[in-house]
Parts: sequence; structure tokens; C-alpha cells
Amino acid sequence: MNAIGPVEPGEGTQDHPLTNPGTPGILATTAAARPLTRLYAAHRRAVHTLLAAVLLLAGGGYLYATRPPATPPTTAELPYPAQTVDVSYLGEVNVPPGTRPRTFAFEVLLGVQSGPAVTVTRVTQPYDGLSLTSAPRAPFRTESGAARKIVVTMHVTECGKVPRDAGLPFMDVTLRNARAIQVQSFILGPRYAHDLSHALQVACSNDFP
Amino acid sequence: MRQRSLIAITAALSAGALTLTACGSRNSDDKGSDSGGGTTVTIGVDAPLTGDLSALGLGIKNSVDLAAKTANKQKLVDGVTFKIQALDDQAQPSSGQQNATKLVADKTVLGVVGPLNSSVAESMQKVFDDAKLVEVSPANTNPALTQGTDWATSKKRVYKSYFRTATTDAIQGPFAAQYLINDAKKKKVFVIDDKKTYGAGLAGTFTAEFKKLGGAVAGTEHINPDSKDFSAIATKVKNSGADVVYYGGEYPQAGPLSKQIKAAGAKIPVVGGDGIYSADFIKLAGASATGDLATSVGAPVEQLPSAKEFVANYKNGGYKEAYEAYGGYSYDSAWAIIEAVKKVVDDNGGKLPDDARAKVTAAMQNVSFDGVTGKVSFDEFGDATNKQLTVYAVENGTWKPVKSGTYSG
Repeated sequence: MNAIGPVEPGEGTQDHPLTNPGTPGILATTAAARPLTRLYAAHRRAVHTLLAAVLLLAGGGYLYATRPPATPPTTAELPYPAQTVDVSYLGEVNVPPGTRPRTFAFEVLLGVQSGPAVTVTRVTQPYDGLSLTSAPRAPFRTESGAARKIVVTMHVTECGKVPRDAGLPFMDVTLRNARAIQVQSFILGPRYAHDLSHALQVACSNDFP
Repeated sequence: MRQRSLIAITAALSAGALTLTACGSRNSDDKGSDSGGGTTVTIGVDAPLTGDLSALGLGIKNSVDLAAKTANKQKLVDGVTFKIQALDDQAQPSSGQQNATKLVADKTVLGVVGPLNSSVAESMQKVFDDAKLVEVSPANTNPALTQGTDWATSKKRVYKSYFRTATTDAIQGPFAAQYLINDAKKKKVFVIDDKKTYGAGLAGTFTAEFKKLGGAVAGTEHINPDSKDFSAIATKVKNSGADVVYYGGEYPQAGPLSKQIKAAGAKIPVVGGDGIYSADFIKLAGASATGDLATSVGAPVEQLPSAKEFVANYKNGGYKEAYEAYGGYSYDSAWAIIEAVKKVVDDNGGKLPDDARAKVTAAMQNVSFDGVTGKVSFDEFGDATNKQLTVYAVENGTWKPVKSGTYSG
């Protein structure tokens, strides 16, 4: 009633299981544990405090590790890849010596601005008379916040089926992220239009009137 | 003793758990602050609120209203309450100019969203510019409005108070041409326009690119926008042998035109720009519109996570009319004005300065935020830096996206 609590037994007076030789299952460890038993008996309060602290840390750690995330993103909340990817034109690049004729190359920069990582699964261009390869070869993955240069090499297969002077040519890039896979046309602007037209006129100089 | 230790451990664990839970539940719901706000800022709206194009105009008005209410609810600008004043231009340049004068006269107006039509914008730009009153159009696509009449050869900004969130026809027309030649494999086009700034301009940028890509023009015609009988032109289309029709104009005429072209026996798609991208086009064109195409500014709304909140709030706002093609762009246009006002107020010790209009116009140039339609900011001409386009096709009585593009030039 006076909040003192039950009287504790004095040290060495407790009938502790570890000291009871009549408990076979415990006996096997008794000899090895005897110094620990003495230590425990001598510092019981300290051991209990330490145990409480360890359990507190373990419990707290468990709660912290398993806490629910503040805003768990679901797939439906992730952005579509075309909304997070920029593709911009950098310029012409030289093709290696010995490359087959009517081949030219450009460099573009692909950046993932936000959201999950994006994998480019295909790069194409829309004209029937051209074939295209990319380096790195698709598929390749780009992390969020990163950008990478891509060398796009084009080969004219049929001069009659390429535009001489397209005003707004584009590249079709197939993008995949955790949200969706989609094809987006990237209209690379007047510099790309100019360089493409120039390259096509050089490649097809004998075919264009 | 054991019991007491257990109690101690449990208590300690509980205390620790509570502490950690408290840390985890702390959030950032501390936007805005109470203010005694006494200043009212009006955002003007100019759009066709009656007449053939009212479906688009009312979507613009409602979306601006939603932006103003949202800013007020969030107390985005301390001490400032936003309201809107919407005026009907009936898609007429003369009405637009009168509205511009009226809005300029109201000193509480610090920005205007609109108009819908490029031809109306032409009549308003100077009025607003003289008064240094900023104007942000969600829908004008004619390139000359920002880049001058010689935009194709020499870009020059004429009005520093004019901005827009929509992509221009300098991209929209060629994008449609690229799609028709490369994807739809069309070779021979019949081009029709309504002789207005928007329609004729769009038809021009389309035709130039279509020719560059090797396509042929089977014929050209101009319609009278006041007429609904296009049977003579429909017959010409049929006899031309064209495999596609491109129409520069708006849906009130494009719908009946499509219907009459098909009725004349030319079972070929009619293609247009954002001016025909409306549910009303499909209603007017009827069942034979299946396969018709339209380009429109921006990405499909369902592909924009940022648009979901707008769509939900618009629905909850109880607006009777749909937000239509320019709803997201109108909301972003209004929000750009709100952000510019906020910048001016913040820079002036929490109060509006005397020359607020000029300051808001200057601040608009550097506005940048994540809007409904993506990143909103403006280039040196006042054009949107976010330039996305989508090709839509009529399928099962509705517009379905078939190709999207991003301009990064």
C-alpha cells in the first residue's frame, strides 16, 4: 500500500533454476555458466537495466525499421516515362573510317528528370528509306537524375524514300519504366532538321534533283 | 522482481515506440498562414462564353475559377484574395478588344487568362501591352502572336505582356504532316481552311511540311465560317482523289464538313488541329467521323499524374461544363499569374506595390512551377517551354490518343 513493493530476497538466497542441480536440461550448461551466474547474482540490477536498454533499442529499432513509409508510391502514382524523359539534339558526329557509304551519325542526350529509372527499348526514325542503330544498343537503362549520350547512326537504304528537307523530323523512342511502356516522338528542332537534311543531300547527291 | 522488470521493460519500450512514432508522423502540413488579408486581386478571363465555341470557353472560365479558389484556400499569397471576372468575346476580335479595354480599366485586374482564338488575341495584345497588363493564353497557337509576323524567317517578340501555355502551330501543323505521311501513309491531301488567323495559319504550317515530306496537295478551298452547307466543297474533295483532308479551323464547321465529305462519297479521314479536338466535333460529325484525326496541345491528361488532382478538384468543384481541351492549360495560365503576383508581393514586403501590373508582367518571365500540364515556364518570346503534342483519332465515338510527341528544339 505504501508503494515500496515486495521485499526482494537477499543475494545468494534465491532458489534460482540455474543453481538447481535437479534440473537436467539446465545442468548441461551449468558448469560453463557458473561464472556468469555469479556475475548475474552480483550485479542483478545492472543486468536488468542493461537488458531493458537492449530490448528497448531492439524494439525501437524494429519499430523504426518496419515503420510505414510516409507516402508509399503505388504504380498508378508513378509518372509515365514520356513525362520524365528529355531527349535533346547535341550535333553531328563523325562515323569511323571504313563505314559503309551513305552512313552518318548524330549525338543526342537522353535525361531522366524524375520518377523511376527508364529503359529505352527501341530507337527508330519514321522514314522508309533510312535504317537506324544506336550506341548504346537498346535496351539500356538510365537512372533518375542521370543523363547519357546516345550516338544514333543512320544509313540510307533508298534515297527515293527519304525527305530532302523535313522541317520538324523526329525520332521515335520506346520508353519503359515501372509505370508504363510507351512510344514517344522526340522532335529535335531546327538544328537536327538542318543537319539531317544536309546529311541526306550529301548521301543522296546523285539521286536528288 | 521479474514482474517489476517486465513492467519497466514494457514501459521503456512503449516510451521508445511512442517517441519514434511521433517522429515518423511529423508532416509538412504547414502551408500558408493566417492573415487578415484585405487585398483583392482580380484575374480577368476572356473567352467565348456563348455561341458555337462556348464549350471550350466555359472550360477555360471554370478552370481559372478553380485556380483562384485553390489559391485562396491554400492562402498562397499572404493578404491577397483572388477573384475572377469573366467576359464573353463570342469569338469576335471586336468584342475581345472591348473586353480588353474594360479589364484594363479595372485596377484590381493584375492578369488576364485568354483568349481562345488567335484572331481575338491579335485585337487584344496592344491594349494589354500599353497598360502593362499581363495576358496568358491557354489556347492561342498562331506563332506570330509571340514571334512576330515574320516568325518563319526572323523571330521577333512584339508584346512583352503576352504569354501562352499552349504549343504553337509552328509545331502542330508539321507534327500532323509527319504523322500523316510517315504513320498513316497518306500521300495526297485536300486542304481547307476558314480564312481566320488560326485556321489559315495552321493550314499553312501543315501544308508546307506535307510538301517537304513529298506529299501532294490535291486541292485547296476556303470556307465561310458562317455557313454550314459545305456540299460543294465536299464534292470537290471527292473528285480530287485525295486520300486525306486537312482542315484549318474549329469544330463548329469541321463537324458538318466531315459529315458532308463522307456523305459525298469520299471515305477519307478529316484531320485538324486543337480547334477540332472537342467532344462536340464528334457529335456534329456523327458516326462517320470514326477515323478522323486531330492534333492537340499537350500530353493526354490520363498520362499526367499532375492532372489527376486537377480533374478530381474540377469534378468536386461542381462545374456544369467539361474542362475540355484547354482546362489544364487554363488552370496553369491562371496559376502562373498567381505565382507572379506572389513573387511581386513577397519582394515588396508582403504588399502589392503601386506599379503592380508592370511588376507582375516582369515577374511572369521567370515564373516556373510544376503545373497540371507539366513544368510551366516561358521562353524569351513568351511561349511555353513545355511543348508536347498528341495525335488523337475518333474511335467508338470518342477521341483516343494514338501518338504523342515532345518538341525539344
